[in-house]
Amino acid sequence: MFGKGLVKGMQITWKEFWAKKLTVEYPDKLHPTPERFHGKFTLDVDKCIACGLCANACPNRVITLNKQKVGKKQYLTDYVMSIQYCLYCGLCVESCNKDALHFSRDFNMNQYFYKDIPLVLVRREALAEPGEEPEDGAEKPKPKAKAEGNKAAEQASKPAAADSEAAASAEAPAKEGQ
Amino acid sequence: MLENLFVGVADWLRSLLGGIGFLPVEIAESIVFLVKLVAILVFILINALWLVYMERKIAAYMQARIGPNRVGPKGLLQTTADIGKLLCKEIVIPKNADLVVFLLAPVLIFVPTLMVFAVIPLGKNMAALDMNIGLFYLLAIASVSTLFFWMAGWSSNNKYSLVGSMRVVAQMVSYELPLVLSLLGVIMIVGSLKMSDIIAAQNSVWFIFTQPIAFLIYFIAAVAETNRTPFCLVEGESEIIAGPYTEYGGMAFAMFFLAEYANIMVICAVTTIVFLGGWHAPLGLTFIPSWVWFFLKMYALIFVVMWFRWTFPRIRVDQLMGFGWKVLVPLSLANIFVTGIGMYIYRAIGW
Repeated sequence: MFGKGLVKGMQITWKEFWAKKLTVEYPDKLHPTPERFHGKFTLDVDKCIACGLCANACPNRVITLNKQKVGKKQYLTDYVMSIQYCLYCGLCVESCNKDALHFSRDFNMNQYFYKDIPLVLVRREALAEPGEEPEDGAEKPKPKAKAEGNKAAEQASKPAAADSEAAASAEAPAKEGQ
Repeated sequence: MLENLFVGVADWLRSLLGGIGFLPVEIAESIVFLVKLVAILVFILINALWLVYMERKIAAYMQARIGPNRVGPKGLLQTTADIGKLLCKEIVIPKNADLVVFLLAPVLIFVPTLMVFAVIPLGKNMAALDMNIGLFYLLAIASVSTLFFWMAGWSSNNKYSLVGSMRVVAQMVSYELPLVLSLLGVIMIVGSLKMSDIIAAQNSVWFIFTQPIAFLIYFIAAVAETNRTPFCLVEGESEIIAGPYTEYGGMAFAMFFLAEYANIMVICAVTTIVFLGGWHAPLGLTFIPSWVWFFLKMYALIFVVMWFRWTFPRIRVDQLMGFGWKVLVPLSLANIFVTGIGMYIYRAIGW
């Protein structure tokens, strides 16, 4: 019959008129993000061994990490992601052996100034006297000092610590400047 | 009390002016009439603002969105903000435009609408002017608005504007015919062009029940008259940008925009008067004032017009013309014929 389609169309819009609205008013409400959402990165600094696998895995060379040798261990001083180039492929997260790098559900990374865009996950001074392992804190400075190649192993621990701390602090700004 | 609210205000004003004494009756009456017209103008403008908001809300709801909801409570001040923005904008005048006509068109576009509202009874005894040729006057004035669209399109000196306004003229002139012919059936039954007579004749049965085909024809033609979807090929943005409005910006555009909504109000008001019993209360619900009933019916029809817009796609020019001349006009002529025969039969059996 002529006009049947018109009536049907109007029925559909009428139903739609009363239907639940799909809009989520963004700043006030958020869509539930899925569990494996590729959002902002988080780095578990205590787990990170500064191996640099993530930086190598990145196709866009987004990750810049600086490390320093503290004793036998690599010590992470800077971990900066130029997030404007990141394509959120997740290869860095996959490549992490120590399960330190993760995605979070936070996707709001917009910044007012361009210089604020890089995502700084770690920026700290190198530890000369490792405060993170208090049980062998007294032993550590000696290998550290050895690594620096300045002093003999059996020297008094106190001055050596002071020495290497000064060296580290001198080194850190230089790396930041790169 | 509430029933005679506006009539009471008019009477009070009249007696107040009469109380001054030295004022001749004619001047007092003309002052009252002026107040009525100003009231109508304010009424139209506020309604147009509200209708823009309503349109956007309905559009959003039919698309499962929320619509404007940031400016003011529930987004109610959205149109006010929009108009404020449009007022601030420069009216760009094209280099080769016919300046006088170009600037006159958006000013005049509101005139027929306002003039038409003078005869529309918004409630019991609430017509500013109850002429004995009311409906005729209304149709005559309403058809003048074609001219202003043509003025706008022609003076813009732009091919899109010209094509658009040519479409307006073709469409409005073509659909004027079924519009008028469909009303003829009702006028034949009533035997009068006076608005109050037409409403009084619907005291028991509304004309939508006795003249359903006329109602359909009228409503379709009226939607076409206001250049609304599905007949909005006048401003079909996919083909001719915005038709006659292409070169207009700022408040000049806003005038066309508001006039469109004012015209919707006019056609819905006329449909209410002619087919839906005007201010008569249905089912004997007379405790609700007559003007509220009129308003409710009018807004129900406006909702339907907007519902059309967000349901139907735009039709082609040849389809438009074909539908108007090959379907609506013969159908309305047949309706007149059947109505005439019916009237004779009823008269013969003494009804």
